[in-house]
Amino acid sequence: MGKILGIDLGTTNSEVAIIEAGKPTIIKSAEGQQYFPSVVAFTKDGEMLVGETAKRQAVTNPEGTVHRIKRKMGTGEKTKVHGKNYSPEQISAFILQKIKKDAEDFLGEKISDAVITVPAYFNDDQRQATKNAGNIAGLTVKRIINEPTAASLAYGLDKKGDHKIAVYDFGGGTFDITLMEVGEGVFEVLSTNGDTKLGGSDMDQALVDYLANEFKKKNEIDLRDDPKSLQRLLESAEKAKMELSSTLQTDINLPYIAVVNNEPKHLEVKLTRAKFEEIISPLINKAEKPCKQALKDAKLKPSDIDYVVLVGGTTRIPLVRKKVEEIFGKKAKRDVDPMECVAIGAAIQAGVLSGEIDDDIVLLDVTPLTLSIETLGSVATELIPRNTTIPTKKSKVFSTAADNQPSVEINVLQGERPMATDNKSLGRFHLDGILPAPRGIPQIEVTFDIDANGIINVSAKDNGTGKEQSINITGSTKLSDEDIERMKQEAEKHAEEDKKRKEKVEIRNNGDALAHTAQKTLDELKEKISDEDKESIEKALKELRETLSKDDSDKIKEQTEELSKVLQKASTAIYQQAAQEAAAQQQAAPQGDNNETWSGHPSGDDKTIDADYEVKDDKKKSDDKKKKD
Amino acid sequence: MSTKKSNDERNNKCDKKTDSLGKELNKLKSEIKKLKQEVKEKDNKLLRSYANLQNYQKTTEKKSQYMENETKKKYLSELIELKELLKKAYEDKDPRAGLKLMLNNLENFFEKEQIKYIDCVGKIFDHNIHHAVTAIEKNDCEDGTILEEIKKGYFIDDKLLRPSQVIVAKKK
Repeated sequence: MGKILGIDLGTTNSEVAIIEAGKPTIIKSAEGQQYFPSVVAFTKDGEMLVGETAKRQAVTNPEGTVHRIKRKMGTGEKTKVHGKNYSPEQISAFILQKIKKDAEDFLGEKISDAVITVPAYFNDDQRQATKNAGNIAGLTVKRIINEPTAASLAYGLDKKGDHKIAVYDFGGGTFDITLMEVGEGVFEVLSTNGDTKLGGSDMDQALVDYLANEFKKKNEIDLRDDPKSLQRLLESAEKAKMELSSTLQTDINLPYIAVVNNEPKHLEVKLTRAKFEEIISPLINKAEKPCKQALKDAKLKPSDIDYVVLVGGTTRIPLVRKKVEEIFGKKAKRDVDPMECVAIGAAIQAGVLSGEIDDDIVLLDVTPLTLSIETLGSVATELIPRNTTIPTKKSKVFSTAADNQPSVEINVLQGERPMATDNKSLGRFHLDGILPAPRGIPQIEVTFDIDANGIINVSAKDNGTGKEQSINITGSTKLSDEDIERMKQEAEKHAEEDKKRKEKVEIRNNGDALAHTAQKTLDELKEKISDEDKESIEKALKELRETLSKDDSDKIKEQTEELSKVLQKASTAIYQQAAQEAAAQQQAAPQGDNNETWSGHPSGDDKTIDADYEVKDDKKKSDDKKKKD
Repeated sequence: MSTKKSNDERNNKCDKKTDSLGKELNKLKSEIKKLKQEVKEKDNKLLRSYANLQNYQKTTEKKSQYMENETKKKYLSELIELKELLKKAYEDKDPRAGLKLMLNNLENFFEKEQIKYIDCVGKIFDHNIHHAVTAIEKNDCEDGTILEEIKKGYFIDDKLLRPSQVIVAKKK
């Protein structure tokens, strides 16, 4: 079966969602908005407009614009526009057509099916009319579901056993309260109530009135009389309302809002949440009565309600949520966007019908904590990050930390801390038989393979010899929730000091690597380096090595930089000399067979990661070797 | 004698049949084993590709969050620049020259970003690029003429960034 749209066909705005890769996603309109204004217009030229464009021209063409057609669904009452009669089904169909087209453009495929939501109080005629509207729009309506049911589905409340739910839907223009009972995934409406003339736009208006009255007191001019000022006031009132949902105070500054006696006037108001709440509380209190009535009709006490679900943008206002808590005596669920949850619930229902959401589908586990291995300087180098879905497999190539290092130790770690010692070691093993080679040359490929049961197979393979070693670790994903939480919290707590420790190790590793390079340069290019340069490199190298044996990061860093500087000076001189020689030879023999190439320092393969193994048992050996050199 | 012979013959036949059935059974057994192994491998592959998809979704989400932040940074740093300069202008006794330059800079920035102003006053209302806030009854001009601009509208790359908010004439 093809994809099925989930449509929240609203009074002022409509929204549409679909299941994509198992997840519900909101589809934006062609105009780039999360919603489609439920407005249809017919221009004098006979053009039909739907959504945002219809809304933009509404005041210039009121007789040709149809709003809030949802209120007429099922009545059979015709709307006459430019001499032509339209049924409510037809008008709704135009909205659905626009939604269908934009969704098809977004998805790149034809859509023929939909699940559409309706208010819980819609009767059979109204539901049938909604279904007809879908059919006229070219959609097979697979199911009509109640808006509060859809909202509950978005919260997964169908899977939590038998209980009672209150859905508190406070939108832009209307308020609805629905009490439902759910058992074995079936929703039953117990009672419903509401206020069709109460919504967020009333709050905007109340705020505009307050601002305009305050301005009038000082400037003796009513901003509401000028459409230009009124529009700016309306926009900033809505913005302030939204802002005060997350902050305690906001500034409303409208420069050049009016001109009084040739003098420009600015509106400057500091609005606190407390003042805002004082302005809107009469409106919010209006929602209480319908709730009490709904409880009475369902013969329920507030304490009988198990879950309260919030729908509609107005429920983002803290005072609204406080009121809900006051009425029902419990905190409301709010982790799904209240503006989107009805469309999302419709998409979930659609996904169940189309088989895209399959209850039988295997729920895959994730790795609760990061898996890494220990590398040079006790650093934990990440292979598989936390929250990766399993089964999964990941490889990284590492190298040795010392010349002629015959073996490496793989220490498998679990945890979020950057240093190996702070994490839990799940197991360790050695890979030996590495052929003698300078540090950084051998390629050891480490692979973590976690199967669906959480069993980790860690293998290390020497890409040079093909030699391989591995271990199996069981039970790594079976950590208790407390353990995981504790480990995460510890990582957060120590984040700052851990960062410093890791930096320290990195400075030391950098210094160590540069000392190695410098020694190599001296050995290989002793003939080419001037005595003066040689002396300064040797001096800087000696100093760095001495400091490396102590614990002073700043000094190590400083001396690493110093050594790097003298090395660069020497190599620049070598290049210049080589260039001069080449130029001289070219003059002598233009096609000279100058085969002599400068053999640079061994640099690792591109794939090799700059995180070397710590050398344990071979430290002495390589040090001895260096001494001999 | 003949009975014995026929019995022997029958036994012989039975043995042969048992033999071939045994072989058949072994063949089927090994086939089942093979198929079981195959199903197990396919199952594993399916699980892995499903997990891969989920992990891909996670990284894509992270990447788009990152991209969003990068874009934000670009525009916010322009705004910060403007704020710092506005502060200087505010402290300036005669800020007009400075303000003019700042305005020029902003206009250049918008031009670079392909942002174009929608010229609208005196034109006929177009719902594709204009948003009518009010209509005023007026008979001395064509129906639908834009009388006043409340908020400027802009295009970005020839697509609508935001519509002009306008006051439109309406015949009585």
